[in-house]
Parts: sequence; C-alpha cells; structure tokens
Amino acid sequence: MPGANRLRWLGWVALLAVAVPAPLVLGELQLFTASRIVIFGLWALSLNLLLGQTGLVSFAHAAFFGIGAYAVGLVWLHLGWSAVIGVPFSLAAGGTIAFLMGLVALRAVHLYFSMLTLAISQLLFVLAFTAYDFTLGDNGIHGIELPPFLADTSQVYWFVVAVAGFGVLALGIVWRSPFGAALQAIRDNRLRASFIGLHVRRYELAAFTVAGMFAALAGSLFAIVNRSAYPGLLDWTQGAVPIFIILLGGMFRFYGPLVGAIAYVLLEEVVTRETLYSNLVLGAIFLAIVLIAPTGITGIVERVVGRLARRPSPGLTSLPEPLAETLAGEFEPSTRDVET
Amino acid sequence: MGIDDLVIQFLAGLTRAGLLFIVAAGLSLVFGAMRVINLAHGSMFMVGAFVASSVVAVAGGEYGLLPALAVSAVAAAALGLAIEVGVLRRLYGREHLLQLLATFAIVLIVSDLVRLIWGEENLSVTRPAALAGSVDVLGSPFPSYNLFIIGLALAVGGCLWLLINRTGLGRDIRAAIVDPQMLGGVGVNVTRLFSGVFVLGSGLAGMAGAVAAGSGAVGLGMDMDILIQAFAVTIIGGLGSIPGALVGAGIIGLLDAFGILFVPRLALSLIFLAMAIVLAVRPSGLFGLPERA
Repeated sequence: MPGANRLRWLGWVALLAVAVPAPLVLGELQLFTASRIVIFGLWALSLNLLLGQTGLVSFAHAAFFGIGAYAVGLVWLHLGWSAVIGVPFSLAAGGTIAFLMGLVALRAVHLYFSMLTLAISQLLFVLAFTAYDFTLGDNGIHGIELPPFLADTSQVYWFVVAVAGFGVLALGIVWRSPFGAALQAIRDNRLRASFIGLHVRRYELAAFTVAGMFAALAGSLFAIVNRSAYPGLLDWTQGAVPIFIILLGGMFRFYGPLVGAIAYVLLEEVVTRETLYSNLVLGAIFLAIVLIAPTGITGIVERVVGRLARRPSPGLTSLPEPLAETLAGEFEPSTRDVET
Repeated sequence: MGIDDLVIQFLAGLTRAGLLFIVAAGLSLVFGAMRVINLAHGSMFMVGAFVASSVVAVAGGEYGLLPALAVSAVAAAALGLAIEVGVLRRLYGREHLLQLLATFAIVLIVSDLVRLIWGEENLSVTRPAALAGSVDVLGSPFPSYNLFIIGLALAVGGCLWLLINRTGLGRDIRAAIVDPQMLGGVGVNVTRLFSGVFVLGSGLAGMAGAVAAGSGAVGLGMDMDILIQAFAVTIIGGLGSIPGALVGAGIIGLLDAFGILFVPRLALSLIFLAMAIVLAVRPSGLFGLPERA
C-alpha cells in the first residue's frame, strides 16, 4: 500500500524533526521528560520484539533494564572508566545474561516460561540487592560522573536520542527482516512454524537475546540521565511499565510502543501531579484499555482512518501488513491459510 | 545450637508453610481451572488483612480475630466475584496476556483503594486472648497462634481435598483443569463454575490475610510480597495441583526458616533459586500437568 508507506515515512521524519531540535525550545524539566519518553520507548520496543512479534510473555524485562543501568554504574565505580563506556558494554552484558536466561527459561513454554523468567529475574534482583561489595546493595550507585561532553542537559538529551535512535533503527531492521517474519510465524502458530522447518526454540532464544540487549541499552541511558543505578530497577513489577506502554500504543505495529511511550510518560506526569492516588487512576485507565481497546492508540487511529478510507479495519488478531507481505514472499505454500 | 532450636525453627517453617498453603491453594485452583494467572490474588490477601484489622477494632481484641477470619473471607470473596463478573468474564477466550494485564490493573486499583480507606500507616492486630500465649516445646516457648495457623492450614487442606475428590462440584473442577471446553460440551455451566472457583480462591486469600494480620504488621505492599511467594509455591508444586501446593508450601516455608538460620545472606534468593531449579528440571512443577497447547 504505497499511501500507507508514504504516511509511515512522513511519521518517522516528523518524529525526528520534533525530537532532535527539542532542547532549543524545551526547559530543563521538560527535556528530562523527553528523555524519559525516548528511553521508555526503546525499552518498550525491545520488549515488543518478544510480546508482539514472537508472542512470548517475559517477566524479566525490568531485570535487563536494570542490568544496563548497572553496566554504566559498575564500569564507572569499579574500573574508573568513563560512564559512557558502560553504554556499549550494556549491549554485551544484557545479551549475555539474556542468552543464558533464555537457555534455561525456554525449556518451558507459555505460562511456565513466564514464571521461569520471573524466578530468574527476581534472583538477579536479590543479587543486586544483597551483593554489597559489588553493587553497593540496596543503597544503589548514585552520583555517577559524566564526561565533559555530556556537561549540560541538552547534550545528555542529544546523546540519549542518538543512542536510542541507533537502537530503534536496529530493532526496526530486525522487525522487518526474514528473521522477524519467522518470529511472527512462531507467534501465530508455534506448531505450524516448526512444521515448515523453523527451529522454534533457537529463534525464540535469539529473539530473547536481542530483546535483552536493547532493554539493557535503554537501561544504560536511564543511568546516564539519572546518574544512578539501584536494585529497584530490576524488580519484576517495574516490568509492567513497558507492557503498559506497548498496550497503550498497540503491539502489532513496529512504531506502536513509541506512540505508547509518549502517551504513557505524559499521562503519568499529569496523573501524579494532579492526584495523590495515581495508581487508582492509571489502573482504571489501563483496565479500560484492556477491556475496550486492546489494539491501543495505533489500533484506534487505524480503525478510524480505515473506516474513512472504506477498507476493513485490522483487528487484534489480524496480521500486520509487513508480516503478510513477507510471508507471501517467503513461506507462501504453507501459511496461505493462516487462521487467526 | 541444640536439637530444640532446630525443632522450633522447623515449627516456624511449618507456620510459614501453613499460611502460604492457604494462599497458594486458591491461586493454584484459579490457575488450574481457568488458566488465569491472577496477579490480584495478593490484593485479596491484603484486603483480607485490612478488613481483619477493622473487625478487631470494632469487636475488640479479646476474640475479635476469630470472626474476622470469616468476615475477611467473605469480603475478599465478594471482591473476587465483582472482578470475575465485571472484568475477567469479558476476557475469556482472548489472549492470556490481556487477562494478566487486567489483573495487574486491578492490583494498582486495589492498592490505592486500600490506601484511601485505611491510610498509609502500618496497623497491628491483637491476637485472640486464647491464642495470645505460648506453649512449651522441648523447653522452649512457641507461640500458640502459630500452632493455630498450622492446624487451620491442615483443616483447609482437608476441606479442599473433600471438596475436590468427594463432591460433584469438585468433579467439575477436576474436569475443568483437564479440558474446560469438553466440560462445557457435556452440559456443565462453565461460566458459573469459573465464578465459583474464583470466588473460592479469593475467599481463601482473604482468610489467609486475616490470619497473617494476627502474626505481623498489616501494611501496604503485603500484596506483592505474598504474591511472589505464592507464585513460588504453586510453580514448584505444579499449577493447578492442591497436593502440589501443599508440598510447595512446605518446601518454601522450611527453606525460609532454615535459610535464615544457616545462610542469612542467601535467604532471600533461596526461594527463587528453588523455583528456577525445579522448573528447569521439571518444567511443569512437581505435580503439575504439562501446559495445554
């Protein structure tokens, strides 16, 4: 659909045109909010590689975010290196730990897999919490020093946007690659995917590893912006944040989590400012989305646009276009009759 | 450290296990029959504890906690009914993820409602006079309230066993654990059965909350603390299995008690270590059925 493609490109260009010059107009606090949007957006995108694309529900995604933050903190604390070294290092750390965790957790399927990720990630949380000599325990690492080229808030913001931009690009390439198409085939029907010759567990392990890498990258940016890393970041309940972002934005479009991140961070700020009972309000909003609009903001917008353009609207279980296109090219004979 | 210390610690572990069993049995039943991971189960527990504190405040400390057990169970069961009918029923047949997210949204809502009603201060609840003392175990004092918890857990376990293995309702629940669609096919009202199971699970969690109110502080945050431990128990035992919940609760309770005694630094991680090891070796838990495709 050339119209939709052009619209999508326009969207990306508009996003860059807003994100890059933001420090020229925004104040310090607003810039901090903008950084949060970018970081949470990358975090949610990485989770959506598992959730939306592969259909894996992982409770460990906060752990990888925390690992990335600690990569920055520990490199600065123990090695005396520049905290910025921790940013590329977080990719390696997140990837390695995700690979090892995946080896164990993917022995189980469905809900049992989710529970295994919960157990192992809580183990990591407790380790970060109790290993005083290494991580400073429940105090956390604070006051991380940044190099001179990150002296003021605008520079930090541009650094965050540049690194996160690289992450978004990389995840976008994965999303649209044949590898990404294979993951979607696994999500739609694990059994059928194995029948057409996909080594399902190996693909899932690869997806889990890549998702862990980029969640850690997002976490490392969090540590740069907040200059701290602490055990609470790894706690599994924190993992609800990227899940709600994905839900808000819509999980069947690549850009859904980015839309969700904007909505979530702004919503959270307004709600915590206006009421003492923010959990009550946020919980009610999320519950309403689950019940009424599980395709999220992108789903609603597309349904409205689709109705205007008089074409069928994509439902929760309908195949996203990129998947349908790629599948048509790659695996046509066996997936033509995919039921959803 | 003498043998009497070990015995006391063993009994302390059993006390913890008893409380965990009552919570985890409900969680496990709900999961087994409905395939819903109910993150709000801990919230029912917390509501039960706070309701108990109010009942004791009204009825007096001398025997107030005993009626509170019943009142808390009923309050949590009513909340469970509202959640099942108002939320979960709309999501059956949809993705598991949506059910999970809905229960998490309820966790957020309930935690703030509890804060709204009872405030942020930790509350303490007086034990009933008859259970306030301690009994002599090999020369060391052991709280009689803890023995009451162990006894109550055994009674709950016995009742659940009778319910599941000796009644028509139990037969339906067992069938739902294996195949709810087939159960619907032979004419059982599965929707109503699910409501019943969810109400039963919620009531058990509420009663456990009242029990816990008598042995420690009642405060915000107890919902997530108990949830993660109840998860560990059900997962080790096998989701959907009551005997599994009993064995799992024993393992976690004793690990907790002896972990603090022997390896205090590692005590916190032992639970998750046990959970990971059991699942890595037996992916569906000790007594669980393999996951339905």
